[in-house]
Amino acid sequence: MRNILIIDDNDIVQLVLKKILAKEGYSVDIAINGKEGLARIGQQPYDLIITDLMMPYANGFEIISKIRQHPMGKDTPIIIISAITNEDSVLEGFKLGANDYLKKPITGRELIIRVKRLIDAQVSRAENI
Amino acid sequence: MWQDFNSYLLEYPSLDAAIYYFINLPLVIQIACVFIVIAFLATLFAYGSILVRRFKGGRRDRRMSVIIPRIDTLLTEHIILNEGLSENIPIDQIQLPLEEFRIPLLRSRFGKQMLIDRIVSYKKSFTGSIGALLRQLYLELELDKVSFKKMKSPKWNRKVQGMIELTDMDMSISDVNILPLTNSKNRELRAEARNAYIKLSKNEPFKFFDIVTEPLLMWDQIELFKTITTTEEISIPNFARWVTYSSNKSIVSFCLKLIVHYNQQDAAPAVMRLLENKDHVLRANAINCLGKLRYEEAEDKLVSIYSNQPLNCQIEILKALGRIDTGGHVLFLRQEFLHSSDFDIRKNAAKSLIKTTGVSQDLIRELIDTGTAENKLILKHCMNPLIKF
Repeated sequence: MRNILIIDDNDIVQLVLKKILAKEGYSVDIAINGKEGLARIGQQPYDLIITDLMMPYANGFEIISKIRQHPMGKDTPIIIISAITNEDSVLEGFKLGANDYLKKPITGRELIIRVKRLIDAQVSRAENI
Repeated sequence: MWQDFNSYLLEYPSLDAAIYYFINLPLVIQIACVFIVIAFLATLFAYGSILVRRFKGGRRDRRMSVIIPRIDTLLTEHIILNEGLSENIPIDQIQLPLEEFRIPLLRSRFGKQMLIDRIVSYKKSFTGSIGALLRQLYLELELDKVSFKKMKSPKWNRKVQGMIELTDMDMSISDVNILPLTNSKNRELRAEARNAYIKLSKNEPFKFFDIVTEPLLMWDQIELFKTITTTEEISIPNFARWVTYSSNKSIVSFCLKLIVHYNQQDAAPAVMRLLENKDHVLRANAINCLGKLRYEEAEDKLVSIYSNQPLNCQIEILKALGRIDTGGHVLFLRQEFLHSSDFDIRKNAAKSLIKTTGVSQDLIRELIDTGTAENKLILKHCMNPLIKF
């Protein structure tokens, strides 16, 4: 079973993403802020990380940059889900190492497809190595 | 004194006696007594109201801790994870288990409000089929009626609450209900009604500009600008209409900003006519707009009116010449830079000279070499690309 970490301070997003992804057969962990998210990454490897941008303690950009510096997170696919839609933020996210960017409000089906695509790509890359 | 008073009251224990004693006290003591009584009563009232609020808040939190998880379970089970969504059944053909949502817990006014709040919050996070199904649920449970009822409340905060719910759920509100509110005396209500009108009116989202009599405050303009630029599928009119006909100066000023944002070159002739306006703030805004539109036809007119304008308009003209950037008035800019006695004029003339692509480096070099110490400083300052105007 593939592990996914969701870092988001919005209880509705946490709950709904967890339900949607669990239904697709993924094991989902929740972190309610950046600090907790980084602590979880240090505890176990994840196959994918979904993060918001606006959060207390550490914003999404700081989290992505720290995940990329972390030995257990440097290759993990990251999806940003955010209501911030300006071009600069999207580009900054990609520049720091995010693999995908979903703008809120999101659609469940689109999320599943993107999550599946990134995890499959990660698995095939690992198999090739 | 208090011993006397106590013995007096013990001897004649009546209110009349107390009043008699109070009247005979010195004035300073009387005033002090009144203040003590007022302070005591105010403290009692404050503590009382804090207690009542805390009790109500606690009761509300306890009820919410029961209702919210129940609503979340219902919404995730029947909406988010609805089988119909994964089978691609059209939203209007999906049968929603409405009875599940009509449990006694959600029948009360509080329960219904919690359900509305939660549906609206979910709708803000999810769009597409989930968002459409949430809207379907809101309609089928007739929660829209609850929101419409709030719109008719005499309390402005209830009206705002109803309007926000209806806007977030993409419900259409008739012009009769919402247009009068866009001109309300209450600032919050007015602002929310305008935002709602722009979001909900698909054909003429700016119709309220015609009836606005209250000025659009700067904060209102920021909020409206955000709503206009972030609302999808909004039909953008030619804002020259209000520039020409509106008698509300703040509307004209706001429309000039929108003309620039949407780069409405067609509106430039209407903006040009504003150069004849008696209000110098509007004239300055119009000059700013023409500069940002890079409307070349305005250049000669701006230079010709320059000497009759107040300082703010003169500065805007200098900025506009730099933005329009045809290079046709380099000598004028040079003259203003060298001979004006006003620092701001010289600074903006210098900036526009440097921005004008037709100006050779030789001219700038000449100005630096022959200029005064202050002019050299201004030029070097303006040549720094990190400093914005």
